[in-house]
Amino acid sequence: MREQQQCAFVLHQRNYSETSLLLEVYTRRHGRLGLIAKGARRPASKVRGVLKPFQPLLLGFSGRGELMVLTGAETDGSDIELVGTALYCGFYLNELLMRLLHRHDPHEALYDRYRAALEGLRGSASHEAVLRIFEKHLLSELGYGLMLEREGGGQIPISADATYDYIPERGPVRVEHPELAPRLQGARVRGASLLALAAERLDDNSIRREVKALMRAALAPHLGDKPLHSRRLFQDRLPAALRRVEGGA
Amino acid sequence: MSDIPALEALKQALRRLPGVGPKSAQRMAFHLLERDREGARLLAQSLTNAVERVIQCRRCNNFGESELCGICSSPRRDVSLLCVVESPADLVSLDQAGVYNGMYFVLMGRLSPLDGIGPEELGLDRLEALLDQGEIKEVVLATNLTVEGEATAHYITDLVRRRNIRATRIAYGVPVGGELEYTDRSTLARALSGRREA
Repeated sequence: MREQQQCAFVLHQRNYSETSLLLEVYTRRHGRLGLIAKGARRPASKVRGVLKPFQPLLLGFSGRGELMVLTGAETDGSDIELVGTALYCGFYLNELLMRLLHRHDPHEALYDRYRAALEGLRGSASHEAVLRIFEKHLLSELGYGLMLEREGGGQIPISADATYDYIPERGPVRVEHPELAPRLQGARVRGASLLALAAERLDDNSIRREVKALMRAALAPHLGDKPLHSRRLFQDRLPAALRRVEGGA
Repeated sequence: MSDIPALEALKQALRRLPGVGPKSAQRMAFHLLERDREGARLLAQSLTNAVERVIQCRRCNNFGESELCGICSSPRRDVSLLCVVESPADLVSLDQAGVYNGMYFVLMGRLSPLDGIGPEELGLDRLEALLDQGEIKEVVLATNLTVEGEATAHYITDLVRRRNIRATRIAYGVPVGGELEYTDRSTLARALSGRREA
């Protein structure tokens, strides 16, 4: 494979030998790839300041197999600079992609969603809403899309006022007397929350809280036993009040 | 493979150094044995000496030969200023700049969630304990200008401000002797947004 000027983001990088970098990149056309950037850590390297996460890039690379060689890197002319909590959210998105995407598996639509999510994090949008909407698209791109508008196994539309237990692989199951019924499995949500996620309008705080629990339950089977490390940046030692405001992931 | 076990062991040992492959290790080993046996003895002694005597300072993590390193035990240092850096090498560079006379705290790394390094792995509880002693009035965040360094600085800023201590970040911009034409965009953007009264 020999490519030039490919739209891509760096998801993660590690030092390799004295002067090189091992990159994990997410390209629009080829999906996630492993690249080696030779000499990228030399003081005079032209790509040194360019190869950083969250920066839209145009990359050239060649080779075959698991690890290809970076042949060129420049910014695509736009800058996405994440600071503070937005940066933690960015790490969270990257960790999700590292864990859930396979190498050489292109996901072009998801790539555009990822870029939009980063722009949303930089902007004034609610970080939590940006993350939840990205998670929804990530699951559906992987073939595990959520059922948000109809009850599981039927044609009955979700009612905003009803309460549901969202069961992975089955969808929302209506709970008649939520105050009496024990939770079946998965997450308990109001119909309004399911519909809000379907419409991607997550302005309400209580809805966001429910949708967060829902997405956690929906992602858990795909993430396995290993915890997501970026989540700890939000939780560790933050007092409960702060955690509710800042805890995006 | 060499049939001289001692030579082979030396080559293997030299390969533990960063950036030293089999070829360089062999060159170094032959150089020491052929031309500089005295230097080889000195090297061996210094290594043993350093490994036995150099320990990490219990206050700042920096290397030293006693429980408190030279900087932490110096009476001429300003104890109300604390500069947080990622590595001992960063500390040396900053201290050689000669304008800073406060104390240091060496993180021995940075927050890097994708490598599994979170606040606990970094031992930030020790930094918090230091902040809680009440001597420090300002914390200077001198972590690297990478995304991990920035995340680390932001996380520590939270810890510092919650204790009503002033947190500052080192300035970024065009290096001395640098020319604007050859400076990258994001550095220039930061240099402009961080401009100050002339």
